[in-house]
Amino acid sequence: MRFLGRGMDWVTRPQNYLGLGLVALLFLFPAFIKSMFYIQVMILVIFFAYLTSCWNILSGYAGQLSIGNAVFVMIGAYTSTLLFANLGLTPWIGMFIGGALAVFVGILVGYPTFRLRGAYFAIATIAVAEGLRKIVENTERIGKLNIGGAEGLTIPLLHHAPFQYQFVNKVYYYYIILILMFVGLYVTYRIDRSKIGYYLTAIREDEDAAQALGIDGRKYKLLAISLCAFFTALAGSFYAQLMLYIEPSGVGGLSLSIEMLLLGVIGGRGTILGPVIGAFCLVPVREMARTYIGTTYLGAHLVIYGSIMAIVILFLPHGIEEPIKKVYFGLAKRLGPAG
Amino acid sequence: MMNGSHRKVAPKEKRFHGGEKMETYIQAIVNGFLMGSMYGLIAFGLTLVFGIMRVINFAHASLLMMAMFLAYGLCQVGMNPYLSLIIVVPVFFGLGYVLQRTLIERALKMEAGVREPMSVLLLTAGLLVLFENLVLLGVGPDYRTAKTIYTGATFKVSGIIIKTAWFYGFLATMISYFLLSSFLKWTWLGQAIRAAGQDRDAARLMGIDHYHIYGVAFGIGMALVGLSGTILVPFYYIHPAVGWVFGIGSFIIVILGGLGSTAGAFWGGVIIGLIESLGAQFMNATWTIVVVYGVFLAILFIRPAGLFGLKFEW
Repeated sequence: MRFLGRGMDWVTRPQNYLGLGLVALLFLFPAFIKSMFYIQVMILVIFFAYLTSCWNILSGYAGQLSIGNAVFVMIGAYTSTLLFANLGLTPWIGMFIGGALAVFVGILVGYPTFRLRGAYFAIATIAVAEGLRKIVENTERIGKLNIGGAEGLTIPLLHHAPFQYQFVNKVYYYYIILILMFVGLYVTYRIDRSKIGYYLTAIREDEDAAQALGIDGRKYKLLAISLCAFFTALAGSFYAQLMLYIEPSGVGGLSLSIEMLLLGVIGGRGTILGPVIGAFCLVPVREMARTYIGTTYLGAHLVIYGSIMAIVILFLPHGIEEPIKKVYFGLAKRLGPAG
Repeated sequence: MMNGSHRKVAPKEKRFHGGEKMETYIQAIVNGFLMGSMYGLIAFGLTLVFGIMRVINFAHASLLMMAMFLAYGLCQVGMNPYLSLIIVVPVFFGLGYVLQRTLIERALKMEAGVREPMSVLLLTAGLLVLFENLVLLGVGPDYRTAKTIYTGATFKVSGIIIKTAWFYGFLATMISYFLLSSFLKWTWLGQAIRAAGQDRDAARLMGIDHYHIYGVAFGIGMALVGLSGTILVPFYYIHPAVGWVFGIGSFIIVILGGLGSTAGAFWGGVIIGLIESLGAQFMNATWTIVVVYGVFLAILFIRPAGLFGLKFEW
């Protein structure tokens, strides 16, 4: 009973039940909104919130700027798709194999570059991502294995096959990505509150000082890139199953990597909720621009993104998470005692 | 990366006999060297700014694209592309100085104690996205080519065909390399720039206004970008995303040569140019790009500080 009482105490605090309300709203969203268009937009919003959260582990917490995270998305998408199309292995398992491969590539990039400071890693990520994308774009087949080249691959259609990660109704995908996002947030939360998080922050702020205190900088940076790569690759498999079609410029392109960077920086790097806030504020803007402005004004949303990013860096170095948090706690304070 | 140009340079060669084959290789080496030196020129601005401010300027690619558009516009009103340098270079110097004194300086001051400031890097990445898409909004996604008297012009030196515009590009690279190194070595301003690059605080104690110096250095970097944009116009297509073609290449080049080293940038550019033109003799041009990335990664493993990985090379 005492435990329950404590739990009730926790719930009655405004800053907690407001948050729970928002989470509940997210879970109940498909029950209220029947329009497939809005469901699709929300899936993309959450997809980017998740991707950016993964980016945040590496680039926010560990401070290693990645501009090639799309390479992990591509590895995830292609691995699960190829395994499914050729061996019939369900993407539910294939996505973990993709994740493992992504970790391998991540370590391959991180190992040499983490010795160096500054921009080396950032540039290496671009080079690796672009290099791999070019390879996939220019390879029709490896031996008998068809990997589609620039035209990409379609996932064999099965209509409704839950065990093969295929659903006719988009709502299933909504819940999958929503749960994935919360898994990603939980991992970030655990990092934020654990020793690893403090190590990573120490490395980000001053690597020499961290090293002097006995923190193996490279080891923890490699851990960060492994986590980031693994979870990003899961999103790649998700994207393949959602769209049932993948092409290298779509899942592996530089624009996808830059999108993660923009959302993460604007939202607030190195914070738990920053990436989610960034995605929830900005991805709808992009989708609306795409729908209502259309292709006549290409790049309109990126002009907005780019200017917001410049403004955020100059005036809100911790991202828009900071003012939003202030508003949130201000609201909670008004609703009642903080307890 | 830089594949567009090779469509014109290295036609799919058939099986040649011994002597003729040798000649194609020499031709490819000459082409690769000329083009590579221009890659080096494009990377000069990037490596200079890094060497002095410890800032990787991600907006470099989009500024190059804007320089190309400006030079292209001047060509369209009938100006000789090389004469348009007298407008493009000062405009870009001014743009660089203003950009530094207004936006970048602000971000630099926020992280004054940090050796390699991250927020400046992110700021330039934001500017990259902004500039590129502003131009895209303004002019649309069409590909443009400038028709100048140099477009397609060639001359022959003992059987080797040399493209006039490429030769001028090579000359521009050499001249700006020597001007830049002697400026940094012999003039007071150049010495002040180097001093501010080596030790910001010590330079300040010697009475150097380091923010002004940074502005000048950034301005020089941008003037070099203006120069490289202009020399590309006679033979390269112009498009809002064209900066990426050279941008990623120049990032690779500066790391290959060693961040902050001008000579390294030149030789890094030449290496990339040679890989591309010689590689095109054996494989599809798009695969040469993969080879470039591969060489880059190999260098990172073997000699991560780059070929000329000295801290300061002047």
